[in-house]
Amino acid sequence: MSTQKSKTMLVSEVMMGLDRVPVIKETVILKEALEEMGRKRLGIACIVSMNMKLLGILTDGDIRRMLLRIQKPFSAFFVDDALDHAIDSPLTIAPGDTLVHAVKLMDEKHIWDLPVVDASGVLVGLLHLHPAVEALISNE
Amino acid sequence: MVNKTIEVGYGKVNKVKIGDKLPLAFIGGPCAIESRDHAFMMAEAIGKICRKVGISWIYKSCYDKDCRSAPDSYHGLGVDDGLRILADIRDEFGIPVVSDFSDPAWGPATGEVCDMVQVPAYLCRQTSILRAAALTKRPIHLKKGQFMSPWNMKNSVRKIEAAGNRQVLLADRGTFFGYNMLVNDLTCFPIMAKTGYPVCFDATHSIQLPTSMGNISGGQREFIPYLVRAAAACGINALFMETHNDPDNAMSDANTVMNIKHLENVLSQAKAAHEFRLEMLEKFGEDNVHPEK
Repeated sequence: MSTQKSKTMLVSEVMMGLDRVPVIKETVILKEALEEMGRKRLGIACIVSMNMKLLGILTDGDIRRMLLRIQKPFSAFFVDDALDHAIDSPLTIAPGDTLVHAVKLMDEKHIWDLPVVDASGVLVGLLHLHPAVEALISNE
Repeated sequence: MVNKTIEVGYGKVNKVKIGDKLPLAFIGGPCAIESRDHAFMMAEAIGKICRKVGISWIYKSCYDKDCRSAPDSYHGLGVDDGLRILADIRDEFGIPVVSDFSDPAWGPATGEVCDMVQVPAYLCRQTSILRAAALTKRPIHLKKGQFMSPWNMKNSVRKIEAAGNRQVLLADRGTFFGYNMLVNDLTCFPIMAKTGYPVCFDATHSIQLPTSMGNISGGQREFIPYLVRAAAACGINALFMETHNDPDNAMSDANTVMNIKHLENVLSQAKAAHEFRLEMLEKFGEDNVHPEK
């Protein structure tokens, strides 16, 4: 059972800052997106506009499914815009939402990451399941 | 993907729009400018045919052929004389003109005269040429190198865009199939169209057998109509063909230029196939068999 503290913890307290998240611009090609995901060691990339509005996300799972479905040469795949293969309207959360709500949402949707966006749709961070659960446990 | 339309023609010449759902445009002329008289004679003859067929047209002829096979092959009239003739053809016939250029230093002069500038296929990934073409501010006819995949042409497009130009026409002129042989992969048209820019089929260079005759290129002209019908049915926005009144004695690409006596027939077929394709899409809906998303 959660304590009072864990119940009131906010997403903004635990989310990863943008310096640790694969954030790519809308003109970036898939090969560069994959490299950035490798560098930041996360299975998700957030694709943003020039003014940092979240346009879509690309995940390991999406890429796996695409490889099986599309079947074009890697050289053609790599040069596609990452945005072409992104999920357009990903599930997001606000920095002021509670951590408990966020973790429940991730559990319900079977996802590991939630992009954190402000009221105007600007990406401000990423909530990863592991640190979120760890924060809740350590505050029990 | 945004389907961009480009408009070729500045000043008082006819404006030729090339893009999605628009009538097929034609780019053609003798491969090289051989002389003022010959260039004018060809412009007049091709113009008559285009008016009869009802197709908009951009006159193409080059002032310098830098990719000839032999050192003594005809190179061209050169920048100054060649561009002067193209400028006069614009004025006389009121048609837009295009020439390629193979030295970045020739870019400004070419862009000053020509309504469209062409990047030769062999140079299609050379940053200096692409940048020089972009800086002319004219629409760019960018030919896919015979050694390039259609999807990698996006990198060349990005180089042009990075230099501030967003008016590109991407052309296929065949892809190397081993040595001295080209084939056409029609999937290159939808793939290159994914850039958002219109696409063109270069029919007369597609039937070329590059340097197959020792020190010159050969060609199989008999296949031009077949490939034109296939490309127009597949989906193109412009058709490129080099034509000559006397191919056997043409000073450049003698084995690939099409005799002008066939131009009306082939252009008419291309136009009909293009219009039929647009009608089919209108009637049966857009292609959406296996979308990537």
